[in-house]
Amino acid sequence: MVWDAPEGRGSAAPGGCRADTGPVIGAAFGVILGSAQAGDEAAFARIFRDAQPALLRYLRVITPEAEDVAGDTWLQVAAGLAGFRGGEKGFRAWLFTIARHRAADAGRSRARRPAVPLADSGAAEHVVSPDSADLALEAVSARAVVALIAALPRDQAEIIMLRVVADLDVGEVARIVGKTPGAVRVAAHRGLRRLAGLTQRAGVTQ
Amino acid sequence: MSGRDALHGEMPGFAFPGRPHDEPLLDMILERRPVPPGAPPEMHDLARILAALTGPAEPGELAGEAAALRAFRRLASPAGARSAALRALRRWRSRRPARGRPRLATALIVAVVGLGGTATAYAGVLPAPVQEMAHVTLDAPAPHHRGQHPPAVRGARPDGRPRLRPASPRGPREGRAGGTAQAPGRVRVPRLGHGSPQRGHGAARCCAHDPSPNQNPPGRGRGDPGRSAPKAACCPDTAS
Repeated sequence: MVWDAPEGRGSAAPGGCRADTGPVIGAAFGVILGSAQAGDEAAFARIFRDAQPALLRYLRVITPEAEDVAGDTWLQVAAGLAGFRGGEKGFRAWLFTIARHRAADAGRSRARRPAVPLADSGAAEHVVSPDSADLALEAVSARAVVALIAALPRDQAEIIMLRVVADLDVGEVARIVGKTPGAVRVAAHRGLRRLAGLTQRAGVTQ
Repeated sequence: MSGRDALHGEMPGFAFPGRPHDEPLLDMILERRPVPPGAPPEMHDLARILAALTGPAEPGELAGEAAALRAFRRLASPAGARSAALRALRRWRSRRPARGRPRLATALIVAVVGLGGTATAYAGVLPAPVQEMAHVTLDAPAPHHRGQHPPAVRGARPDGRPRLRPASPRGPREGRAGGTAQAPGRVRVPRLGHGSPQRGHGAARCCAHDPSPNQNPPGRGRGDPGRSAPKAACCPDTAS
């Protein structure tokens, strides 16, 4: 699959206005990608380390089998990497699109399997809200925030994760989730307002 | 739709209760831009919360690296790609005949049975019932009943020779036993979808061993009562 990657905000970081140092390789991505496509294992490891935390956090919001789905996703990425064309933004859009499809596959497979007790399925971690003490810590853990976002309606949570964690713009997110850009924007705003309310109730204050 | 569900763009200028004009701030947070100092405190909290999502890897989040690298070695390296392509090729080659095999076998069977059966039928060496069927359906010679002509039944050909009803496999034995021609009700003729068996399909071909230039092509004159004639001398042994 060939992705025409719209390069804009993000890797090139125009203006340097980012509030944090997101998992972005930057200008070196093209070289690293080319090396990985030529079979350079270290280059592939670099891409993996850069994208895996964001991928796993996104998957923890949309599926209880995040680790397994992440493994399937990287398997497909490794198989299709030679045919990928695009920049870092395009790669992330490709990566998260694959992850979304694999999560949907896992959901269908899970639906066909007989039900297992929640305590044994590993899904408990997915549905439990974060502890207030965790959120009140000065350094809020990503895992606690992921659990908080997972309490939002599914579409809002996914769109927030794709916008923030995957660092994709509205158009890319709209293409991935199959909604219009306007619907994506509205869902993201509603999710953030609801998240603000959850945060206040959980006691996350400065 | 209530005011809370409406978009700001749908009702411009309307101050929604409990919802400030926060879209620009929310967009800034989504794009991870710094929130202005004068923004409401909940917006700062929101930005801080979301900033935690983009932090460095936490313990355990890179645990799948070894497996991913193994997959990469297997699938993405030139050697791995070559072996994967070979595996895919083998799968394709093993699937392809499996899909086409039943159709090919069916076509071969039909061809062999059709051609061989037709040739054998024209050679006239098939068993009597089968030869009879070929006689009716393929215009093959009628079966020889141990040197006898097939029994004739009602109907005649336009050239005055009788139309002959093919005998059933039991016909000659019954004829020997009874010493008379078969009763019409006992004669079995395969239906071909048109005409009546009582009219004697393929009757004009009964005497194919006695070719006549006046012989009608198969099927012509079938079912024409005006052309029927008494059972006659073509197969005299069956005429009553």
